[in-house]
Amino acid sequence: MNNLQTGNAPSLSVVVPHFVYSALSFLCLTVFIILAGTDVLGPYFSGKLVAITHLAVLGWASMLAFGALYQLIPVVFETALYSELLAKITFWIFAVAILLLVYSFWTSAYGTTLIYASSLMFTALSGFIGNVLFSQRMGKRNIQSKYVVTAILWLLLAAFLGLLIAINFKYPFLSQIHLHYLKIHAHLGLVGWFVTLIIGVSSSLIPMFLISHNLNEGKLNFAYYLINGGLLLLGLDWLVLQGTLLIPVYWVSISLGIILYLVFVREVYQKRLRKELDVGMKHTLVSVLSMLLPILLSLTIMLKLDFQNSFHLRTTTLYGFSIIFGLITPIILGQTYKTLPFIIWLHKYKQLVGKYKTPMPKELYSERLVTLQFYSYNLAIIVLVTALITDTIWMIRLGSYTLLVTAVLYNLNVFKIIFHKVKTERNPI
Amino acid sequence: MKTRDEIKEIESELEQILYGVMDPEVELNIVDLGLIYSLIYDGQSQVEIKMTFSTPACPLGDAILMNIRQSITNVYPEFEVDIEVVFEPAWNADMISEKGRLMLGM
Repeated sequence: MNNLQTGNAPSLSVVVPHFVYSALSFLCLTVFIILAGTDVLGPYFSGKLVAITHLAVLGWASMLAFGALYQLIPVVFETALYSELLAKITFWIFAVAILLLVYSFWTSAYGTTLIYASSLMFTALSGFIGNVLFSQRMGKRNIQSKYVVTAILWLLLAAFLGLLIAINFKYPFLSQIHLHYLKIHAHLGLVGWFVTLIIGVSSSLIPMFLISHNLNEGKLNFAYYLINGGLLLLGLDWLVLQGTLLIPVYWVSISLGIILYLVFVREVYQKRLRKELDVGMKHTLVSVLSMLLPILLSLTIMLKLDFQNSFHLRTTTLYGFSIIFGLITPIILGQTYKTLPFIIWLHKYKQLVGKYKTPMPKELYSERLVTLQFYSYNLAIIVLVTALITDTIWMIRLGSYTLLVTAVLYNLNVFKIIFHKVKTERNPI
Repeated sequence: MKTRDEIKEIESELEQILYGVMDPEVELNIVDLGLIYSLIYDGQSQVEIKMTFSTPACPLGDAILMNIRQSITNVYPEFEVDIEVVFEPAWNADMISEKGRLMLGM
């Protein structure tokens, strides 16, 4: 037996708390959107929207990404996680930092608790990043691991800039207004961390789940340089030169990189052996296709196609919304069912397979709930996008409540998987 | 020591046992999936299996191996099962049986 990765899988106590915290954050997030009410249609930098954004990207998405990445390190890097203890410590610091950070934004406590929340956050993220980097040093280097490592370096930069902005609220020292740095911070986080991570992990997982072989990974290589080169130059341009005429060049570079990735996914889809897609993969493919939306919206913002200020502000909100709810959330909603049931199944049934008739991993959750979750989510997003475009408050409420339904369905399934009780029948053999 | 015919018969029985071992992700048995490259019974108590996975980083690899060992020793408790996992030749779609293709909806 050689080159097997399941022996490298981290223990359940490292991974599962991340899934629990993330699922609860998603539920809280939908409640916060309802509570924010008309603020959702206000400026994207209002305290409540910033609180919601941070709960979404850190509590919901990054928390799950950390847990999933700890589990996927053996798959992507083909080695074990460097330190389980560090992962557990990081989890608790991260968990407290998220609560404190969201509280600081929601209550506009910029000059008081924000600096402590940001410092704690930076500490947690450093712990996570160190753990992944040390793991990668021991593991295999391929295009997927290159994406993952680069993504976490962007996360480090985003967190550092976030910390500087927080310090600046209490002890002003930055030369430009906050919104200028907020723009850079958001792009490092959303494009650098999430888009790069999603491309890296999904280019490994989607072929694995769809059973696609003989793929041309050259496209991923080109995409890597176009996206990261473009983002690096964009960040430097904004930071040092405050934005030059070259911004559209960086936009073209990043967009081309994303399109190359989409071409790669099309190849995976065409060469797939598994013709029928389950709901998890449908969610994932919706997410991948949604990458086109922020490309178009960023073009609108860059070219200032609309000069009505309120619409321009809402377009910016929509741009962030399209990344968080178009790209990030559906891939999490889908991939949860491709990871968590297998993690729990392995833990509960690994010693029982062969001895007893055991259920399949997909029998650990309700497929009916996943289907309802898929349709309620897509409905919520269509309604919310329409509400943001048309500035309609009743549609915001309708979309928010539909999103709450999705979150409840998702949580029911996540906890059904986690609290699954072992079911066995004597093997008839 | 068993005769050649007896060895063949036991090898065939062992293969039938492997038809009951599923890849939990693909939900197809590992024989129809084409993961088994060779199965040799030495006529005494040693079984040597050479096999692969659909991906080198298969997260469920250990569970599949455990299932193979357990399924065989359920029927032949005295057997020692030695499994070698190889990635050369790499698994590909052509290795799936006709029945497997039908089951996967290909």
